[in-house]
Amino acid sequence: MSAEVKPKPADRSPGQWFDVRGRRVGLWAYVVMRLSAAGLVLYLFLHLGILSQLAQGPAAWDGFVAIAKSPVILVLDVVLIVGMLAHGLNGLRLTLIGLGIGIPRHKTMLWVFLALTVLLSALSALAIFAETK
Amino acid sequence: MIQKQLTRERAGSWSWILQAMTGLLLLVLLGLHMVAQHFMVKGGLRDYAAVVEWLSNPFIFLIEIVFLIVVTWHALLGVRAVVFDLGLKPQTERRVDVALTVLGIITVAYGIWLSATIVAQGQTLIAAAG
Repeated sequence: MSAEVKPKPADRSPGQWFDVRGRRVGLWAYVVMRLSAAGLVLYLFLHLGILSQLAQGPAAWDGFVAIAKSPVILVLDVVLIVGMLAHGLNGLRLTLIGLGIGIPRHKTMLWVFLALTVLLSALSALAIFAETK
Repeated sequence: MIQKQLTRERAGSWSWILQAMTGLLLLVLLGLHMVAQHFMVKGGLRDYAAVVEWLSNPFIFLIEIVFLIVVTWHALLGVRAVVFDLGLKPQTERRVDVALTVLGIITVAYGIWLSATIVAQGQTLIAAAG
């Protein structure tokens, strides 16, 4: 390990937040984290908004349920689940690293968590499309 | 190679600790939510009557409200971290904090109102139809 670098303020302007050229794999994780975060925040409010249909009675809600089972929405559901898994598992990885757990093996951990994300995403996609047939 | 600092938020700061704790809780709460509300349900979504019946269970109701509070907190704390990375004046940072706090309270209040309305209205409707 090199001498500890004193933390300094973020010096990437917003335009550079998603510029991964010449960066290490950890930066990819950071970009995935911010993009999935933005998507998940938007989705949270969208989800809460849509649930207001439940206050409009059975016709409104059951009408929405019918729409939500269309193939396009199901594909978006898979995108959502991939986002949740990537964000959640990478967040767990960052938490462990931040707490000083597993630092010597951080590279291995990254690949294990990535593999878990892919595996759980695939299983979720299978469940979603198998069930609605 | 010295990497440029990616974010102002440091591991161990109060906002980092809160974000990590709500994040860990979410692994459990979101997992529960996805399994109980979607994966366990045939077709992935309950119809109106089934939603009312499900949410009428006080334990489920409570878990969903706790989930709502934790997920809103985590989301807005995340927005705060990203916004603060823009490099704001302390006064602006305080305004962002106030705005996000208000948004959080409104969101949770809306969610509690909606859940309570679904249960109350739904039981009346189902009793009338029953």
